[in-house]
Amino acid sequence: MTALALVIWGTLVGLDLVSVPQMMIARPLVAGAGAGLLLGDVGAGLVVGVVLELFQYAILPVGAVRYPEYGPATVAAVAVAHAGGGMAAAGGERGGVLVLGLGVLVGLITAMAGGMSLHQLRRLNARVVHAADSLLEEGDPRVLVRLHAAAIGRDAIRAALVTGFGLGLAWMARFAVGTLTARDLALLDSVAVGAAFAAGAAGLLRIVGTGTQLRWLAAGLAGGVLTAWLA
Amino acid sequence: MLGLGVGVAQEPLLRDLRTGNADGGPVYRAAVARAAHFFNAHPYLCGLVVGAAARAEHDGAPPEQVERLRRALCGPLGSIGDRLVWAGWLPLTSALTLAAVALGAGAWTVAAFLVVYNAGHVALRWWALRAGWRHGTGVAVALHHPAIVRALSVVGPMAATAAGFCLPLAAGWLARPLPLWAKVVAALVALAGGSALLAAPRLTAQRLGLVLSAVALVIGVAWR
Repeated sequence: MTALALVIWGTLVGLDLVSVPQMMIARPLVAGAGAGLLLGDVGAGLVVGVVLELFQYAILPVGAVRYPEYGPATVAAVAVAHAGGGMAAAGGERGGVLVLGLGVLVGLITAMAGGMSLHQLRRLNARVVHAADSLLEEGDPRVLVRLHAAAIGRDAIRAALVTGFGLGLAWMARFAVGTLTARDLALLDSVAVGAAFAAGAAGLLRIVGTGTQLRWLAAGLAGGVLTAWLA
Repeated sequence: MLGLGVGVAQEPLLRDLRTGNADGGPVYRAAVARAAHFFNAHPYLCGLVVGAAARAEHDGAPPEQVERLRRALCGPLGSIGDRLVWAGWLPLTSALTLAAVALGAGAWTVAAFLVVYNAGHVALRWWALRAGWRHGTGVAVALHHPAIVRALSVVGPMAATAAGFCLPLAAGWLARPLPLWAKVVAALVALAGGSALLAAPRLTAQRLGLVLSAVALVIGVAWR
């Protein structure tokens, strides 16, 4: 039942990115918190969500740019982190500390698959619409609604398949946890955290650009460092 | 692919153009066909073209003028939407949420993010549709609305400040459970990775993460 709930959540998250309703449940923070809620492990969902949210900052979805899809990827990553953390605790490894790095690795692979699927879907939708050009020119609203609904339906199927793929990887990753030592897991975790920070910082620098906004970024950075020190 | 969606959204506004014919009549059908033509802009501002084009159809604007209006709006709506939302409102709200989570505020901040973000999102969609319908072919004036101009000038700096604020907090929160040596590794990866991403635009964050994770696995196995 939980797996089904995760697939449904991943499908909704995947739909939200482009089709409907674009209310940002596709953001890793939200997708991760939701997956964590379904697994009874909101903490894992938040940690994974924060990491992949930082990766998401490296994307600016303008024009026809191609990008990885982090929504369903986060659902899969949380599944790994939750299951792996529990298994690690049972095996005496790191006593319940989250298996973050492995989850992020599964998430990144799933995100890549999601991005590729989005590109293929766009090509398919373009072909379908082009084939219906003459029907659309007749101005029949039923044709319009049918094509529109079918496109949304195709995106839902795509999102479900990507989520299923990610959860499949997550299931396979459970076996990897047993073969990895505490040091391996910690190394993966540290790489995930470092790469996420690099992605977030570089992405935000690109969004902000040079000029006055860079000064605002620096001011925020100073405030963040001070707050972290005081907290 | 926004053309189909714009057509579906616009069709209810065109229903008053229908005549007694079973198919709605030639004026209505031609307007529906035009509504579904190619369009691409920021999704939250598409309401502007939905309202403006529908109003133009009702005002009896020539078809070529309606088509020109749609084409002319693609660029400005894309640019304004990208600056206002994708590079402004979204990173601002998301970064503040990240910071709150890192400071221990918990999962409720994610719910708060959804509420706050979507308040702005829905308000923008609502304004765009109303402004488009109100102005019709003269919709360009709506793009210079004082609220839009003001928002464009402040949301960028606010987003930049929030982004800078959240980064060290998120990094510290994520690194806290790691042993010291792993914290050092994370810092080195962050430094080297960030530099690589800025120096090589073709290197994506995803590829960087995948490569580094694979290297970490190999090192872990080799280190035994």
